[in-house]
Amino acid sequence: MEQFIQAAVIGVSLGAQYALLALGFTLIFGILGVVNFAHGGFYMLGGYVAYSCVVQLGLPYPVGVVAAVAAAAALGWLFELFLLDRLIDDHLATLMLTLGLYLLLSSGLLSIYGPLSMEFTFPVTGSLRFGPIYVPRENLIVLAVCVLAIGALWLILFRTDLGRALRALADDRRVATAQGMRPKILFPAAFALATGLAGLTGALVTPILALSPSVGDPVLATSFLTVILGGLGSLGGAALAAFIVGLVEAFTSVYFGGSIGALVLFVLVLLLLVFRPTGLLGRQARGA
Amino acid sequence: MASSLIQRPRLLGGDEAGALILVAACFAVPILTRNILAYSVLNQALIGVIGAQSVWIMLRMNLLSFATPAFMALGGYTVAIAGEYNITDGFLMTAAAFLVPALVAVPLGALVLRLRGTYFVLVTFVLSQIMQLLLFETPRLTGGSNGIAGIPAATLFGVDMMSQRQVLFYTCGLALLATIVAVALTRYFRQHFASIEENEILAESLGLVVWRYKAMGFVVAAGLAGLAGYALVTMLLTAHPSSFDSVVAVDFIAYTIIGGRGSVLGPIIGSLLLVYATQMFGTQGQYAQGLYGALILVVITVARGGIVGSAAALLRRLRPGRRATA
Repeated sequence: MEQFIQAAVIGVSLGAQYALLALGFTLIFGILGVVNFAHGGFYMLGGYVAYSCVVQLGLPYPVGVVAAVAAAAALGWLFELFLLDRLIDDHLATLMLTLGLYLLLSSGLLSIYGPLSMEFTFPVTGSLRFGPIYVPRENLIVLAVCVLAIGALWLILFRTDLGRALRALADDRRVATAQGMRPKILFPAAFALATGLAGLTGALVTPILALSPSVGDPVLATSFLTVILGGLGSLGGAALAAFIVGLVEAFTSVYFGGSIGALVLFVLVLLLLVFRPTGLLGRQARGA
Repeated sequence: MASSLIQRPRLLGGDEAGALILVAACFAVPILTRNILAYSVLNQALIGVIGAQSVWIMLRMNLLSFATPAFMALGGYTVAIAGEYNITDGFLMTAAAFLVPALVAVPLGALVLRLRGTYFVLVTFVLSQIMQLLLFETPRLTGGSNGIAGIPAATLFGVDMMSQRQVLFYTCGLALLATIVAVALTRYFRQHFASIEENEILAESLGLVVWRYKAMGFVVAAGLAGLAGYALVTMLLTAHPSSFDSVVAVDFIAYTIIGGRGSVLGPIIGSLLLVYATQMFGTQGQYAQGLYGALILVVITVARGGIVGSAAALLRRLRPGRRATA
């Protein structure tokens, strides 16, 4: 029983991290119709910016996190504005552009920080004890920040004019544009919002897991998995799927070990893609 | 007079003849030089040539595939496992490395070819991830995370391909075979593939049985990927999961896009040049990925034809009087 609850706690905290990544990824796909291969790159960028602020400049950790969000959002905004926007309707071209950016970004980070893992630890340590169950404080803090960020994103998307405009563009770009929404301003904003979330996740999670130039690949694979499971472009689906993926990973690694859980999830996602490309909660497949 | 109105399909286009000659010319390297570094670079480049052509065949139909490493692994591990039973005959193994992935691609193609565009990209990415996990989860068959080491050298007419020189000859042969297959397929179905690339719905409504050509392309692309896996395993004498991860797919896609997706020369020239460029980084090989990234950005934003397409456009501009017929 203790093992079960322990696994559930790990699963929920993994789920919250995945949700932040997947929400950004699905936001980009839903609004711009772009598959962002660079998502793992923005996660890494967030991690390294936070590392530089905290370890090299000696700033407090929260400042590092804010700087990481700002850096990832700024790069995302510039990339969308100057490169992606010109080819926004050519799905193969935008995909190649994000792939190119990812390769550049990871080899840029590699040349600055080197190939080794960084000594980057979470500023809060120790764990809380609830009877027989231990919960690391760092996981609780990350969970809290993730939940707050998801709440904030929900407020932005469903309670502000910016959010309404973004959702209108996701629903039907032509009608939304005719109604006065301006993709030229809103697309870079949406991309920056999403990459900022990836940067936030990187800054929060890399001190707990690991920070090296190769951490982007698994992040990309997990984002794919989650987003396809939830339905490409569906925000609610992404959040739900993130917690499913987190819990499945936690429970299978505790009870079976190895990567059998990931294998099951990937096969499930393959079948889902083929037979129900709209995912769990998606409404319609995008005409891509 | 009617015959002059209809352009009769030629046996080979200029670019296709060029591609065959270029790959065949690689045989000259092991004959002319004894430089071990040149051998190793060319061997890697030729594996790229085979793999990139697999990507290119699918791109002919506007399908971007990340599944190449999965089929490479099927071909490579087939040979590695056969080696454990001391089956090393070159002809037999070449056939097996082509046929096993191709046969697996038949039912798989029936599943994934229902998808187009972005969804196809995603499903092939998922496929390559599944193959990685399968390799780790089947240690009895594939050696799991240890892979299969000490694979016996391939034999041809009773001769073991032991030296690097012999292995390079062998890879040249595989690359030439792959190029012949790719050229034959895309030449024979040139118009079919072109019409699918141009407008799939229109092609279908005009009576083209689109799924048939897509399936054929997918199966042959899988077979070529298997050959690339065979060449890789022959070079390393080891089959390891890390040789078949998604980075390999990204490399092949980079070779194809940067070389130029318009002609079969593109993936060939792209592989040869980029693998050579990677060697220029020397021990800093990991930065090659950054170079690929930068070149992809340049190709997609300003030079859509890649190296070959841009060179062809430049040639046309230099010779204004003549109209290109190819």
